[in-house]
Amino acid sequence: MKFIRLKAVTRKEFYHLIRDYRSLYLAFAIPLLLIILFGYALSLDVDNVETVFVDYDKSELSRDFIRKLDASPYFRVSALLPASKDAVDFLDHDRAKLAIVIPPDFKKSIGADREIQLQIIIDGSDPSFGNIVRGYISAFVERYNQKMLIHFLNRQGQERIHPPVDGRVRIWFNEDMESRNFIIPGLIAVIIMIVGAILTSLIIVREYENGTMETIKSMPVQAGEFLLGKAIPYFFIGLTDLLIAVLLGQLLFGIVMKGNFGLLMVAASLYLSVALSLGILISNVTKSQMLANQMAILTTYLPSLLLSNFVFPIINMPKFLQMITLVVPARYFIDILSGIYLKNLGIAYLWPSMLVLLLMFIVLTFLNYKMLKKEGL
Amino acid sequence: MSHSNSDSISVTHLEKKFGKFVAVNKISFSVRKGEIFGFLGSNGSGKSTTIRMLCGIITPTSGGGMVAGHDIVTEAEEIKKSIGYMSQKFSLYEELTPFENLRFYLGVYDVPQSKWSERIDWVLNMARLQDARNRKTRDLPTGWRQRLALGCSLLHKPDILFLDEPTSGVDPVTRGHFWNFIKQLAHGGMTIFVTTHYMDEARLCERIVMINEGCIVASGTPEQIIAGACPDKPDADLNDAFIKLMKRNDY
Amino acid sequence: MSWLRIRELVRKEFIQLFNDKRNRAMIMIMPFIMMFVFGYVVNYDIKNVRMAVLDYSKTPESRSLIKSFEGNNIFHVTHVVANEKHMTELLLRQKIDVGIKIGHDFASVMREGRTAPVQFLVDGSMSNMTSVRVAYIASILDRFNREELRKLYPVDMSYGKLDARVRTWYNPNLDSQYFFVPGIVAFLIMLTSFILTSIAIIREKEDGTMEQLIVTPLKSYEFIIGKTIPYIIIALCQLFAVTAVAVYWFEIPFKGSFVLLLIAACLFLLSNLGIGLFISTISSTKQQAMMTAFFFILPFFMLSGFVFPIANMPEIVQWLTYLNPLRFFLVIIRDIFLKGVGMDVMWPQYLALSILGIIVFTGAIMRFKKRLD
Repeated sequence: MKFIRLKAVTRKEFYHLIRDYRSLYLAFAIPLLLIILFGYALSLDVDNVETVFVDYDKSELSRDFIRKLDASPYFRVSALLPASKDAVDFLDHDRAKLAIVIPPDFKKSIGADREIQLQIIIDGSDPSFGNIVRGYISAFVERYNQKMLIHFLNRQGQERIHPPVDGRVRIWFNEDMESRNFIIPGLIAVIIMIVGAILTSLIIVREYENGTMETIKSMPVQAGEFLLGKAIPYFFIGLTDLLIAVLLGQLLFGIVMKGNFGLLMVAASLYLSVALSLGILISNVTKSQMLANQMAILTTYLPSLLLSNFVFPIINMPKFLQMITLVVPARYFIDILSGIYLKNLGIAYLWPSMLVLLLMFIVLTFLNYKMLKKEGL
Repeated sequence: MSHSNSDSISVTHLEKKFGKFVAVNKISFSVRKGEIFGFLGSNGSGKSTTIRMLCGIITPTSGGGMVAGHDIVTEAEEIKKSIGYMSQKFSLYEELTPFENLRFYLGVYDVPQSKWSERIDWVLNMARLQDARNRKTRDLPTGWRQRLALGCSLLHKPDILFLDEPTSGVDPVTRGHFWNFIKQLAHGGMTIFVTTHYMDEARLCERIVMINEGCIVASGTPEQIIAGACPDKPDADLNDAFIKLMKRNDY
Repeated sequence: MSWLRIRELVRKEFIQLFNDKRNRAMIMIMPFIMMFVFGYVVNYDIKNVRMAVLDYSKTPESRSLIKSFEGNNIFHVTHVVANEKHMTELLLRQKIDVGIKIGHDFASVMREGRTAPVQFLVDGSMSNMTSVRVAYIASILDRFNREELRKLYPVDMSYGKLDARVRTWYNPNLDSQYFFVPGIVAFLIMLTSFILTSIAIIREKEDGTMEQLIVTPLKSYEFIIGKTIPYIIIALCQLFAVTAVAVYWFEIPFKGSFVLLLIAACLFLLSNLGIGLFISTISSTKQQAMMTAFFFILPFFMLSGFVFPIANMPEIVQWLTYLNPLRFFLVIIRDIFLKGVGMDVMWPQYLALSILGIIVFTGAIMRFKKRLD
């Protein structure tokens, strides 16, 4: 490998990059857009569920029940409707997600120590939401029942009855329970994959389509120099994007990493290298810009979003998909990010993920090298 | 310059500026019907820009002209029905076969479908592409693609044919065939407007205009131009005239 | 307007598209890959929550408490640990989601009629899952308490208990596939129209054939129609394919009208094609077009309600989503698949799609000039 040739290739690639204002601008605008917009906009936390009541009882007790539900941060009572069919209407029109019907003998039954039926309807079209709401409403009802029981027993006996067990819940790692705290670090993985792979997927294809690849093959440029020279400018862009993302996360959203920044940089560089190699591989294989772009989206953006534990837990996936996630680089990087941001883990815990990334990088580079050599470089 | 009704093309004070750069500097000329007219100049002299204005690809900054009886600024769409254009790059669809390329342009030019097979056969024969009709255009040698491009521009039997550097990168034998064919077309009444930087080709035109840096430096028949530029050199050729005229503009 | 010209344009476009074997494969296979990934990736069931138990008490009472967690299919005791350190390790290494710590005086305190605290350490990384897990922990504890109270005070347990009859509508099993697979149609259509259309136009520019087309009598609108029709056809084919797979493979209900779905798809396509056109006018190379397309797709996708609920977004952003055609199309898709409602319910979305589509498409056409300058 000759340094002077490497410099020439790198420099040409830099010029390409810098003079293509649109691509350059996008390389920075995309991370900015993602972090700012999504940091503010995206949240998976469920609270203030739109709830409507149909109260056929209209007693002090039923109103108290409604008030108690409304007091919970999880629910928001938005309307008191006169009849069930109005509730149905609301659900159909998406004006409420939860409807509860209180029967006419609510107060009487409770006063007479009789069981009463409560009709609860959840809008299940969004299952994530539906599942969570189901959990919340069950908990609310159970809690209400427990109170009822204790009142009942207190009325029976002399002493004060206490609930036997009290659960003390301590949340670890994301103490303020903001989904943002795991979404934003996760976005970093998505961003780097996008910038790394989608940008680079075009750079070699471009040479093929323009015909300049022929010229390059006839020159003494070696495959290694070519690969490195092409990747270097994008490496710097990727790192810059990383810094922007980290900085924005901190400045705008107060998301501070508990762990070691240096470790993050090392891991990020590794991940970035994997992303770049992947992009270059796609570029080498497809030789058509349109195809390269679609392949890049399919094999880098979507997996890093869906199969990386970013939003959808891998544990919940069917076995065959779980196997596939083993080759998704983003999965390991998100492990590392979550470890550094939320858990303050050090290299002692993170080395396996980093090792996998390193292996991926080596394999991809080897493939790229072999392909270029086959082309005659 | 007088413009008569037998002019196919006439241009008056045609100007094109790109920002501050003047590509075509208020030129005027005319072309008679059935003439083989040459537009001669070095690269960057304004040839391609002029031809593109005449074809309605770009709009003039000022000045105007008439092509096929219509105004180039206000009636560009009308003009397009009666002209054919062959660009420097041949502009063919590489992934399509010659047959598919021809069929496409037949459709675009609104040629009645009943005439299609006849026209396709005519072009393929003329271009000697019958055997290659189903090969991908990108796999054909340059000479063949040139013939195909020419064929595509003639499908709708236009009155005027615009050729922008039609023989770049083509071997002399093919060039010879090409010019024979052009002469035949002109004989049949078609006006041919050619831009070129090959002097020997310019020689074959009936009248030529020499353009340099956006301005016309000479016009007339090749003999007139040579005599005008190099009066004292009896066996001078266009090359000599060209060099002399360029030098004159070079202060 | 010459249909002949348009027909030839469309035919040429198809030849170019399907010429390359790999392109063909990509267009045809992409929908299916996406469906299978989305269809199976997403699973929001609250189940298999891994739990570690640190039981210092080791009494029948403590074991009874642990049993109450094992009894349902939500929690799953995967580890029994002997000390805090081990539990911490498991949490750090993400081997468990919840840890339960029972003190050694658990049973005695309970028998005395006082309240015994039990510690739960919950991994809060994925906060949305955490909060519902915590809710279930509370439910189970409350139920356990009632059982224990019943044992401690054997009186006739008849009191005003709420019997909650919970029904889940539209998607009774809370099947994640019901939610996602129909949405894929929308995403695919978006991809096709944004990227393929803008590239189709730029390709002519880059190859130089655009110039040739300008010289012909081809009108701008004929060009646009000819360029967009192939992609409309492809998108609608993808619509058919995805719907068929959704209904026959994933067995997702299709309660509404397919015709209405088709209409909505066409309206949706209008905006998308408009944006694709627009992108082609502001980009000079394919690379730029693709990056710009991507730049548009990201926010449209993320802020459409497909993955991240709109209701959770801040006010301003929620207003912004009204400019996102995907948002409306998704509502229509789900309504047609899952709710089976008709125009009487969905007309606002159709109206929005129409307005957006017409404005965007017309704007794009006006911008599109046939001349190169």
